[in-house]
Amino acid sequence: MSTAERVVFEHVSKRYPGTGSGNAGAVEDLSLEIPAGKVCVLVGPSGCGKTTSLKMVNRLIEPTSGRILIGDSDVAKQDVIELRRGIGYVIQQVGLFPHQTVGENVATVPRLLGWDESRRRARATELLDLVGLDPARYADRYPSALSGGERQRVGVARALAADPPVLLMDEPFGAVDPIVRERLQNELLRLQDQLAKTILFVTHDIDEAIKMGDLVAVMEVGGHLAQFGTPAEILSNPASDFVARFAGADRGLKLLSLVRVDSLPLKPAVTAQAGDDVADARSRASADHFPYLLLVDERRRPIGWISQSNIPTAGALTADLATGMSPLLDRRTTLKDALAMLIQAEVQAGIVVDERGGVLGLITADDITSGARREVEA
Amino acid sequence: MIRWDVISGNLPLIGQKLVEHVLLTVTAVGIGLVLSFLAVLAIRRWRGLAGPITGIAGVIYTIPSLALLAFLVPITHLSFTTAEIALVGYTLLILIRNLLAGLDAVPLDALEAADAMGYGSTRRLWQVELPLALPVIAAGVRIAVVTTIGLVMVTAMIGEGGLGQVMLRGYNFRNDTLVLTGFVLTVALGIGADLALSWASRRITPWAAGRN
Repeated sequence: MSTAERVVFEHVSKRYPGTGSGNAGAVEDLSLEIPAGKVCVLVGPSGCGKTTSLKMVNRLIEPTSGRILIGDSDVAKQDVIELRRGIGYVIQQVGLFPHQTVGENVATVPRLLGWDESRRRARATELLDLVGLDPARYADRYPSALSGGERQRVGVARALAADPPVLLMDEPFGAVDPIVRERLQNELLRLQDQLAKTILFVTHDIDEAIKMGDLVAVMEVGGHLAQFGTPAEILSNPASDFVARFAGADRGLKLLSLVRVDSLPLKPAVTAQAGDDVADARSRASADHFPYLLLVDERRRPIGWISQSNIPTAGALTADLATGMSPLLDRRTTLKDALAMLIQAEVQAGIVVDERGGVLGLITADDITSGARREVEA
Repeated sequence: MIRWDVISGNLPLIGQKLVEHVLLTVTAVGIGLVLSFLAVLAIRRWRGLAGPITGIAGVIYTIPSLALLAFLVPITHLSFTTAEIALVGYTLLILIRNLLAGLDAVPLDALEAADAMGYGSTRRLWQVELPLALPVIAAGVRIAVVTTIGLVMVTAMIGEGGLGQVMLRGYNFRNDTLVLTGFVLTVALGIGADLALSWASRRITPWAAGRN
């Protein structure tokens, strides 16, 4: 497996003759460094030069000035054919060859590189598996027999065929419906967890940028880089009015999808087990302003809530006293999903649990909104 | 009216002329295809040539076949070459137009993907563009073949002509059977060639099923 390489833009400009600055597709003095193995999303309105920037990496477009490095080598100094065979490329229309089967399409770059037939077949099979298409069913079909989502998966498999260190993706999921897009995005993130390629990803959709990017480069018309940072930085601290407007009036809400439950301070849960003495349980419950006890099993896994008023005056606690339950939240749940679960369950607090299901603490809707507010102000 | 004894008596002649007819046609379309392909390569390199080249091919196409043969005979005499020059000339417009249309219809996203994956321009032409243009090119070849099968008849005037000679002989000897034989065989040849080429085109472009 090849290692990923960093991609560096050094004062890269692309000007088109006959037009002034501000022309569509131009790029003005772009400097960026994308560390190896990271996903950098280039996002901006149409005409901001994001696709131009992408295409300058594999020299489908040559820059007017500046240089682009992959690793430490200047792309302009490499043989253009060799360079392109070493860079994966995925476009919105996919660009599969209609006259070749899915298997042949996937093995395109290996074929150009002169791999023998059996090695190409093995690689195509492996890649179709990787993108979730059964090779036995799909390898011998023609692209015209596939759905949009399946085609795009084949496109990704083809781009990965020769295990390139760098992947360029130009609005790869722009032509599929929202449900398929969501699934393809999640699959790409899962793939990226395994592959750790350096990915440049172009989109005009800020939500997609926030979801997919380790880093986000916001560009504005005229080809200027408006801001370069992590999605949280872009949302919480936009560098200009343009970025703030582009990120949207709901960027506070968007932040909720970036922050995970375990980054907020959790409220301790007052817990009790079946068989505990009621007097002891009552006194512990009354020390807390929250009028419920959380009944847990012997491994601290939650069973249900017991209202203080339901605690009997004498004897021991029993499981049948529990009357309600809250949604269980993994530590890695995003605040957005946590809030959605609380609203849906019509409860104030969610129970945060560890990998084994044991109670870690409680989180309330108020905690979530104030946490998001802190991120925005930070 | 049809005298079968005439047909059986002339069978060797009819067979020989049928073979000649096919040979004249295949040669004309084959040479026409090579010339058209070269012309299209030139047009792709120098776009400005598109107008002049299709213009010339168009002018050739409009010359009446008898007039063209009459013009050529003093230069190349009564020969296979003379017949072929005329026949090739008439295929050029059809073939060049279909080659250009086929190549223009190749999806741009496939070309962009090919470039981005590191195809050189020659390899892209042979392995991506021509295969994808094949259904349109094949349609052009079908029209050219059928047209040429018809035109070959005319070259009987200069002593070639394949089945045209069978008809001409029938005409000269007032033998209706020979006229009819030449006619029927030519029509059958045209229809047969069209069906065969259509079948072959579908066979070599299985991916285009349901598109054309």
